[in-house]
Amino acid sequence: MATLTSEPKQFTARKGATKTAVSGSRLFNRLCTGVMIAFSIIWLIPLLWAVDTAFKPNGETAKLPVTWWIDHPTWGSFASILRQGDIWHWYLSSFLTSALIVILTVITASLAAFALSRLKFRGQGAILGFILLGLLIPIQVLIVPLFREVGGMGLLNTYWAVILPQVPTAIAVFVFKQFFDGLPRELEEAARMDGASTWWIYRGMAMPLIKPAIAAVSIFTFIWSWNNLLWPLLVLSNPKLMTIPVGLATVQGNFGIRYADTMAAALLGALPLIALFLFFQRQIVEGVAGTGLKG
Amino acid sequence: MTTDHPAPQSTGVSRRGFLGGALALGLGAGALSACSTPLGAGLAGSTLDPGTVQYWNLFGGGDGVRMQAMEAGFEKSHAGIGLSSVTLAWGNPYYTKLSLATLGGAPPDVAVSHLTRMKTLQAADLLAELQPADLARHGMTADKFNQTAWKTGLVDGKIYAIPLDTHPFVCFYNTDVCKKAGLLDSSGKLKPITGEQAFMDALTKAKKVTGQYGATIAAINETSTPWRIFQSLYSQLGGSPVVSAQGTKVTIDDAKALKILTFLSKLNTTQLMPGSLDYQGAIATFAAGRAGFFFQGEWEITTFQTAKTPFSMTKFPNVYGDAGHYAVQADSHTLVIPKDSGRTPAQLDSALTFIRSMLDQSATWAAGGHVPAWLPYRNTPAYAKLTPQSNYASAADAAVYDPIAWYSGSGSDFEIIVGGTIGAVMSGVSSPQSGLDQIKQKLGVLAKTQPPTR
Amino acid sequence: MTTTTQASRPTQAASTDVPRARGRGRRDDNRSALAFLAPFLILYVLFVIGPALYGLVMSFFDTSLVKSGLGKFAGLSNYVEAFKSADFWSSMWHTVLFTILTTPPLVILSFIFALLAERATHGKWFFRLAFFAPYILPSATVALIWIWLYTPDLGLASGVVQKVGITAPQWLGDPNWAMWSIAATTVWWTLGFNFVLYLAGLQEIPRELYESSSLDGASPWQQMRSITIPLLRRTTTLVVVLQIIASLKVFDQMYIMTSGGPNFSTRPALEYIYDIGFTDYRVGYGAAASTVYFVLLLIVSAVWFLQTRRAEKKV
Repeated sequence: MATLTSEPKQFTARKGATKTAVSGSRLFNRLCTGVMIAFSIIWLIPLLWAVDTAFKPNGETAKLPVTWWIDHPTWGSFASILRQGDIWHWYLSSFLTSALIVILTVITASLAAFALSRLKFRGQGAILGFILLGLLIPIQVLIVPLFREVGGMGLLNTYWAVILPQVPTAIAVFVFKQFFDGLPRELEEAARMDGASTWWIYRGMAMPLIKPAIAAVSIFTFIWSWNNLLWPLLVLSNPKLMTIPVGLATVQGNFGIRYADTMAAALLGALPLIALFLFFQRQIVEGVAGTGLKG
Repeated sequence: MTTDHPAPQSTGVSRRGFLGGALALGLGAGALSACSTPLGAGLAGSTLDPGTVQYWNLFGGGDGVRMQAMEAGFEKSHAGIGLSSVTLAWGNPYYTKLSLATLGGAPPDVAVSHLTRMKTLQAADLLAELQPADLARHGMTADKFNQTAWKTGLVDGKIYAIPLDTHPFVCFYNTDVCKKAGLLDSSGKLKPITGEQAFMDALTKAKKVTGQYGATIAAINETSTPWRIFQSLYSQLGGSPVVSAQGTKVTIDDAKALKILTFLSKLNTTQLMPGSLDYQGAIATFAAGRAGFFFQGEWEITTFQTAKTPFSMTKFPNVYGDAGHYAVQADSHTLVIPKDSGRTPAQLDSALTFIRSMLDQSATWAAGGHVPAWLPYRNTPAYAKLTPQSNYASAADAAVYDPIAWYSGSGSDFEIIVGGTIGAVMSGVSSPQSGLDQIKQKLGVLAKTQPPTR
Repeated sequence: MTTTTQASRPTQAASTDVPRARGRGRRDDNRSALAFLAPFLILYVLFVIGPALYGLVMSFFDTSLVKSGLGKFAGLSNYVEAFKSADFWSSMWHTVLFTILTTPPLVILSFIFALLAERATHGKWFFRLAFFAPYILPSATVALIWIWLYTPDLGLASGVVQKVGITAPQWLGDPNWAMWSIAATTVWWTLGFNFVLYLAGLQEIPRELYESSSLDGASPWQQMRSITIPLLRRTTTLVVVLQIIASLKVFDQMYIMTSGGPNFSTRPALEYIYDIGFTDYRVGYGAAASTVYFVLLLIVSAVWFLQTRRAEKKV
């Protein structure tokens, strides 16, 4: 579930914002830089330690005293996790479910938001309120009835059981709605005068104009779906259908106390997201700042 | 499309109908062509790898290593049948996942279950009944199993589980300490300890040698072990089942329970057996020779072999039973076949072949301490020569399993509630009387609850 | 919430006075609005509202996971049981305790880091990377890494502590430490999100304010107290409330790192519901516990809603 706050204007407005305020003495700023570098390094230590461990042979991880030094660095743990094969299935499941959730969320939520923002129809307020209600109901409190319902539909242990309940997120509707609200009215009216259909105004005009919102919703929906544990844990039983978090959390027995293997698996599970982050760092960070989306 | 199997409680929209619609909604039909791949299974609900045996277990540590060896043994001797095995985290998470998988219509073909947990799975209608004729085809007949484990596993005379072993609560003893304390006989084995006084004496002598403790046991942050020693002693005393009538009645014998709790608390106050150690602490203290005895399930054998502790093992002493009445807490690992309406006779045969293969490899399994349930191995000279494992083999015949209730079984709420309270008595946090009251009060709540199983 | 009001639309449309377009728009809109809304609404009713109502109904029955149908009518007994259950309340308390332990450091540290980063002369991208990278990791990855860090003797955490000469505690094995250890993991994992929100908030503050106060001879400390903190109030409200709501929904870290143990000392409300519903098969009671838990979330959300409303009015 996500929560929505603050207006999206920041998002677009900030791009042109002046370079921000930095005053005070140079020395003081240098000091701040130093402190931050120290903290950043501290913050990176757990990740670096995981990487360090993953490159150790399993035997070396149990040696005392604890050391960063690797006597015989090896790709062995990564190779054995990849060779063992489960993780490829998990990648497939995670990619497929996350991608479909993103696509379906963007389509359904933007359509609904467009209607709520740009169309005028009977019961508009009521429907808005009805969807607003969804902001207050996180999927976590629904797991018990939802499991039985999805079971009744015969969807358990399929990707659809993971995908469908994660698509209707009210938050996405509201993000889109706010961006649609921000579009100038005149554009649409001009289009209508030229005889454009409502569909064209949505698809041909409005959607291209709210690309930043689509990007933000897509990226965040992808991250949440990729990282979601509780719901997929309930509905996916076959190890070959599990998503990355479910697989890592339940099949850890396979790794036992082979710490290097465990770290290699943990890192491999996060790799696509790390790559995504490195590519889209700016968009992700601006998405957070602009929309206040939070998992 | 290969077979689709409806979920047990499927109502309304058919799986195929719904999935067809869902597919038509957004996806190309290309995915449909890939039938028994994960893609086909995930999108269209087709069965994954119908030809292989899907096997789930919960073994870590030494047991995990031996189980992997046995799986490799199966793959070698039955190259025609594929095997896909998964190890899941021990305890509640495992049984939860197994239940959900079966409810979701995608259970494994064979799964490990503790005998006591198997009862709950059976009551929830999640297990397939095994027909004697099918079993006989694979050479598995009732007379070839340890009778205590076999008979306890039956439900209304029907078979739902094949016992692989019995794992009783046993006595580990430090041979150096016990020798100095004069507790060993001429052949270097522990002289039988019978009766409360003899038990206290043995611990006192051991304590004098070690200068610290007579025995160690896990009592802190641990629920199963306190329950195991309590249940062993309480059963020796002839106490009625703690709960009965499928867990809807609390039938603990107050006087006998109080006697055992008082005894356990006395062992702590005299520091013959402290209640201040946790699981690892109890192991470490015994391994370091600072106690003569250690009480736990036999699976810790690997730990002390690795630690090169001078030790041996025997049955947990008969402290309260008359000469003819011995009892000790135990459970069994069993192999079950979860219910799956889509299972073909051929798949059932593969599953039974796998189960038989596990039994045939009982020698590998027994090395880890578990008493094999498979008599064709249990009665061989090879097993008799396997010491100290075979020293306590007869404990399997006197095994007392946890009482049957939907909230009971290894690692269950029952063990947590009762064991946790007993642990508090053992460590002196609760008095025996208040411990007993607490057990009765908490079990009373569960007993009154409408059972979720039938 | 900052939902814009719909009321202004008709007047605006009327004032532009384009009868043909308006008339056609009217006719079209009812039908096309339905078509636009339908895909979302169908899924929404099916997977959000439906289950919510179903769960509410179920909470009044002795529904079992492994039996079909709702089972026997139980009246209020599930709720009575939840209210009387010490285990339920202790799990609710663990959720609240976790929130109390994580929220202050997550808010205060991220604020301080953002302030420092704002002043820093170089390497802002690096700080963002270092703090935000953990946030995008799956909980399972985070949990596995930290289980390894917390491993007695062999783990880095124990190693560091021992180097200082203190005996390392059983980070996850000791009931007195486990919750703190998980809280520390969570701070590491999610701080970056708040950090980025604060950075954005800081950029909104007009540079001129600092410049003029500098001319007045204000020290950096005075500037922070009189300009930065007051102007960041909205961001702070946002960060605090988002943080509280996220923390109240904790499940993953506990499930993977401790399974709620040792001795249930870290079992959060969601895991209690999971245990009751899916391990004990008692979905009726599980639904009742979910409802009570939902009310807790609702209260917090309501407070948030009112707070934001008030904050918006002020600005």
